[in-house]
Amino acid sequence: MIAGLLRKTLRETWKPTLLFGMALFVVEALITAVLPTLQTGLNDILTTLPFIRTFIQALLGSDLGENITAQMLQSIAWVHPVVLAIVWAQEIVFCTRVPAGEIDRGTIDVLLSWPATRRRVLACEMAVGLASGAWLLAMGFAGNRLSEFASSAEAHPPTSRVFIVLVNLYCVYIAIGGLACFVSTMSDHAGRAMAVIFAIVLASFLLSFVAQFWRPAAQLLSLGILSYYKPAQILATGNVSWGDMALLATVGAILWLAACETFARRNICTV
Amino acid sequence: MNVVNIEHLSRSYGSRVGVESVNLQVAEGEIFGFLGPNGAGKTTTIRVLLGLLRPSSGTATIFGLDCWRQSHEIKRHVGYLPGDLRLYPWFTAQSALRIVGQIRGQDLALFGSTLAERFQLDPTLAVRKMSRGMRQKLGIVLALAHQPRLVVLDEPSSGLDPLMRDELNRCLRNLVAQGHTVFFSSHSLSEVEQLCDRVAVVRAGQVVANESVDSLRDKAHRSVSMRFRDATTANSIAVPDFLRVVERTDATWHCDLLGRTPELVRWAAQQPVDDMTIAPPSLESLFRRFYQPEEESP
Repeated sequence: MIAGLLRKTLRETWKPTLLFGMALFVVEALITAVLPTLQTGLNDILTTLPFIRTFIQALLGSDLGENITAQMLQSIAWVHPVVLAIVWAQEIVFCTRVPAGEIDRGTIDVLLSWPATRRRVLACEMAVGLASGAWLLAMGFAGNRLSEFASSAEAHPPTSRVFIVLVNLYCVYIAIGGLACFVSTMSDHAGRAMAVIFAIVLASFLLSFVAQFWRPAAQLLSLGILSYYKPAQILATGNVSWGDMALLATVGAILWLAACETFARRNICTV
Repeated sequence: MNVVNIEHLSRSYGSRVGVESVNLQVAEGEIFGFLGPNGAGKTTTIRVLLGLLRPSSGTATIFGLDCWRQSHEIKRHVGYLPGDLRLYPWFTAQSALRIVGQIRGQDLALFGSTLAERFQLDPTLAVRKMSRGMRQKLGIVLALAHQPRLVVLDEPSSGLDPLMRDELNRCLRNLVAQGHTVFFSSHSLSEVEQLCDRVAVVRAGQVVANESVDSLRDKAHRSVSMRFRDATTANSIAVPDFLRVVERTDATWHCDLLGRTPELVRWAAQQPVDDMTIAPPSLESLFRRFYQPEEESP
C-alpha cells in the first residue's frame, strides 16, 4: 500500500523537484563563484557604508566583527534570498498539495476512496517531501562544491562545516514543511494555503532585518525562523548550535503530527 | 444481511441541512437506487458512507463497520465513483491500475484491462487528453477493477453514451449475480427503473420513499385521455372519485386514474365517450410528485 502511495506522490512531484534542484545547483554555483571577487575592498565599503554591514549581518544572523573573512563571506551562499526562495518555494508547493491542493482540484475523492488511512496518506507525502528536501540541498551542495573547487583554495570552508550548514538548513526545511503541511490540512484551497505560509515565512525573514534597526523587534527575534539558522557562525568558527537545530526539528515534527491529526479528523467538502 | 445500514443520519453544513434523520438499509446482492433532484442530499449521504464527512448525528455502517472511524477498512471492499469525478491528469488506465493495485495490494491489471476493453478505453491515453466520457469510463474501471463487495456510484452515467450505459448496466448486473451489492445514485428515473431492485427517493435532505420498484409501479397512476361527444357534454359530466382531471381541452379530459382500470371501463361504458386511451403506469409522474416541494406534493 505504502509503495503505491509513494509512487503516486513521486509521479506527481518529480518534475518540479528536479527543476527546483537544478535551479538551486546553478544559483549556488554562481553565488559561490562570485563571492570571492567581492571580498577585495568589501571591508572598505563596509566602513564607508555602515548600513550594508547591517544588511549582511541581518542576512547572516550574526555579528561580522571588525573584518569580514573569506569563510564568513562564503556563508552568504547559504542565506542568499534567492537560495532561500528556491528552497522555500519548493516545499511550499510540495506541502500544500495534500490535502489543500487535492481538495482544490477535486481529486481528493479519488485519493480517499483508496483503503489507506488519512494519516498514512500524509505520512507518505511527508516521506517524499523529506526526501525531496534532501535532494534539493544535495543539489545546492553540489553546486557550491563544484564552484569552490574551481576557485582559489584559500576561500574553501571545510566540507564538514558546509555539511553542518546543510543540516541546519534541512532543519529549517523540516520546520517550514511542517508549517506548510499544517496550514494545508486546514485549508480547502492550495492558493490560500500558499499565501498564508508565504506571509508567515516572509514576516519571519523581514523580522530578522527589522530587528537590526528597531529595538522592539529585536525582542521578537526568537520567533523568526532565521534566528535558528546560523551558517556564518558555523562556517567561521565551526561552532554547531545543536539546540537550534533540535528546536527547528522538534517544531517541524510537532507541526507534521498536528497536520496528521487535523487531516484525520476534518470533513472533506469539495462542493 | 444488510451491507449498508444508515440510522437517523443527519449532516448539516452550518445552518444548511444536508440530510436529516435518514434511515436506509441496503441488503447484500441488491442494486439499490438512490434518487433525488440536485441538492437533495444524495451526495452528502454518499460522502458520509465513504468517510469523507462525519455525521452530525446518527450512524452509518458498511459491513457492520463504522463509516467514519473504520473508513479505511471499509474501502478495501468498496468501489466508489464520485459524482464530480476528477482524476490526476497524468493517470492513464494502465498507470492508474498499477498504482491503485499497489495501494489495494491486488493485481488489477488483468480484470482492469478486461474492463477497459469493454468500455473501449485506450489504456495508454492520459487523462489530460481524455474527453469527459472517457474520464468517466476510467473512473468506472477504477471503481470496479478490484471486484468490490459494494459499489457506490454517484451519477455514473453522466457523460456516457447510450451504448456505454448499457455496458455499465451489464457490468453491474454481472456483479450482482455474483453476490456483490450496488448503491446507485442518480437523478434519472429511467436508468434507476431499468436497473434497480429497490429505490429510495430523497428530497430536501429527507427520504420520502423507500420501496421496491415493483411496489412503486403499483402506486403509479395510469394516465387516461377521454374524448366526449362535445365540449358541453364534457363539462356537464361529474368527475368520479377514481379520476383526477389534470387538464380539460374542449371535449377531452386528461386525467390520472386513482382507482382500478375495470372500474373506469365500467363507468366509461355508461358515458357519451367517443374515444379513450389508458397509458401504462408512469413512474415518471409519481417521481415528479416526490420531487415537488412539500406543500405542492400530494
